[in-house]
Amino acid sequence: MDRSGTGPKKMDILIVFQAIVNGLMMGGVYALIAVGLTLIFGVMNVVNFAHGEFVMLGMVLTYLLHVLFRMDPGVSILLVIPIMLGVGALVQRALISRVVGQPDEAQILLTLALSVLLTNLVLLFMGPDYRSVKTAYKLSVWEVGPILFSVPRFLAFFVAMAFSGMLWLFLTKTDLGKGLRAVAEKPEVATLMGINPKKMHALAFGIGISLAAGAGSVLTPFFYTFPSVGGMFVLIAFVVVVLGGMGNIPGAILGALAIGVTESLTAQFVALDLAMLGVFIIFVLVLVFKPSGILGKGKVY
Amino acid sequence: MSTSPRESSGWGRTAPWILLAIIILVVPFILPSRYLLRTLVNIFFFAALGCAWNIIGGYAGQLSLGHAAFMAMGAYPTALLLLNYNVPPWLGFIPGVVAAVVMAFFLGHLVFGLRGPYLALSTLAFGEIVRILLLHFRDQTGGSLGVTIPFRGTDAWKLQFASEQPYYFICLVLLGLCLYVTYKVHGSRMGYYLQAIKENQDAAENLGIDLANNKVRALMISAALTAVLGGFYVSYFYYIDPDSVCGSDLSIKILLVAIIGGVGTVWGPIIGACILIPLTEASNYFFGSGRAGASLIIYAVILMMVILFSPKGLISLLPGGARSYRSE
Repeated sequence: MDRSGTGPKKMDILIVFQAIVNGLMMGGVYALIAVGLTLIFGVMNVVNFAHGEFVMLGMVLTYLLHVLFRMDPGVSILLVIPIMLGVGALVQRALISRVVGQPDEAQILLTLALSVLLTNLVLLFMGPDYRSVKTAYKLSVWEVGPILFSVPRFLAFFVAMAFSGMLWLFLTKTDLGKGLRAVAEKPEVATLMGINPKKMHALAFGIGISLAAGAGSVLTPFFYTFPSVGGMFVLIAFVVVVLGGMGNIPGAILGALAIGVTESLTAQFVALDLAMLGVFIIFVLVLVFKPSGILGKGKVY
Repeated sequence: MSTSPRESSGWGRTAPWILLAIIILVVPFILPSRYLLRTLVNIFFFAALGCAWNIIGGYAGQLSLGHAAFMAMGAYPTALLLLNYNVPPWLGFIPGVVAAVVMAFFLGHLVFGLRGPYLALSTLAFGEIVRILLLHFRDQTGGSLGVTIPFRGTDAWKLQFASEQPYYFICLVLLGLCLYVTYKVHGSRMGYYLQAIKENQDAAENLGIDLANNKVRALMISAALTAVLGGFYVSYFYYIDPDSVCGSDLSIKILLVAIIGGVGTVWGPIIGACILIPLTEASNYFFGSGRAGASLIIYAVILMMVILFSPKGLISLLPGGARSYRSE
C-alpha cells in the first residue's frame, strides 16, 4: 500500500513513452503520404487536394488483392505502387497539366473536384461499408521491455520509412531524380539543359500519388478501408507539409513524426475524439505565424 | 447608356421581372406535388447559401472551404434554444448569427494574411475544428446523433407548419435578403475594393486599399447570412448533425453553387442552384438516394468542366452575362 504514491507516477511516464512510440509509428505512415504531396508541390507548384483519395485508392486496391488473391499487404504494395505510378502519370497528363501555372483557385478546385469524383466513384461501386484486411499478424504485439509494439503498425512504419528513404536516394543519386529537382528549382534552365518539364511533371505526380497509395497499402492491416477515408489523411498530410515547409522532403518526414506524436499525445491525455484538434490548432498557428515551415523556407531535397 | 434597342424601353425591361414575380408568388399554390415545392425551396436555400459564400469567395476571391461551420454556428444555437428553452427560431437564430460574426472577425484577422492554397487549407481546417468540437461536446450537441426537433402541429410562433407554402415564402424572403445584400455590396465602394483585391492584392494594397479590413468585413457579412440560413435549416428540416450542417461535403456544395453559376456575380448562385439541385433530385430518382454518390459524381464532373472550359462560371455563357460581371 505504501507504494501507491509512486505507482501512478511511474505508470504515467510509461504511458507517455507508449503514446510517443505509437505516435511515431503512425507518423511514419504520414511521412510517406506527405513526401508525395510535398514532391508534387515542389516540382509542379500544384497543391493536390485529391492526395488523400489516392491513399484511399491504395487501400482499396490492397483490399481487392487481398480478397481476390489472399495477397498480403506487404506484397501488394509492390503491385500498387507501379500501378498508381501509371495512373498518376495519366491523371497528370489528362487533368492536372491543364492547370499548371494557372491561378491557385483553378488548381484547388480542380483537385478538389477530383477528390469528390474518386470518393464517390468508389462509393458507387463498393458501398459505404468499412472493410478490413485480415492478416495473421493483425493483433500481434512485440514487447520490448515495458513498451508494446503493435506488429502491423511497426511493419507499416518500417515499410513507409524505407520508401521515404528510397525517394530521397532517388532524388539525390539518380539522373532522373536530379532532373526532377532541376525542374523544381529552375524550370527554364532545366528546359535549356534538355530536360522535358512535362515528362518530369508526369513523373513527379506519378511518384507522389503512388507513394500515397503505398501508404494506403501498409495502413490496411490496422485501418478500415472505406470511400471517404482519404479526407482524414489529406488534412494531416497538408499539416505535415506546411510544418516541414512546402516542397521540403526532410522537413515533411520530421513534420510527419511530430504530427503523429502530437495526435497520439492529445488522444492519450486530452480526449480520444479530440486527437485531430491538437493537430489542426498547431496547423493554423504555424500557417499564421511561420508559413514557411518550422525548418525554414523553400524547397529542400 | 441606353444605346441598344433592347434596353431603351423601360417597360420592356421591367415586364419580364413583373411576370417572374407573379410566377414565383403563384407557383406554390398551383404546383401539383409537395415534392416539387420542396425542390424549389431547396433551390432557393442553396442559391441563398451560394450568394452568401459569393461575397467572400466570389467578389473578394478568398476561397473559403469551411463555410459550413458558419451554418452550423447558426443552426445549433437555434435548435438548442428551441429544444431546451422554448425560444422560437425567429428569435433563437440571433445568438448564432452574433457568434458567427464574432468568429468571422477573429478568423478573418487570423487567416487573411494567407493566400491561395494556404488560405484554402486554413479555412478547411477551421471547418474541421468546429465539426470535431460539435462531435466532442455531445452532452450539449448530441454528438454524432445530432439534434432532432419534434414537430407538434402547425405553430407559427415556432415556425412549425404542416404545409409547405410558409417555408417557401420564408426561404424566398431569405434568398431576397441575400440577393439584396450582394447587390448592395456589388455596387458599393467596398465591392470595388473587393474586386480590386481579387484581381491583384498587391496592386490593390499599393492603391491604399486596406486589405485585411475589407476582407474581414466581407467575411463577417458572408458569415452572418450563412448563419441566418443555418437557423432556417433547423426549422425546415427538424434535424441537424455535425455532418449535415458542418461537413466538408456541404462546404463544397455551397461553393459549387456559386462557382458553377458564376463567381462574383449577383445572379450566378441562382443559376448554379437551378442546375445543381434538380440534377441532385434527378440522380436520386434514377440511382436511388441511397447511392448519394451519384449526384456528387455529377457535381465533380461539372466543376471540372467549368474550371477547364469556362472559369467564370456558366453565367459568362449567357448573352450579357460577362457584362454583368464588370458593368456599372
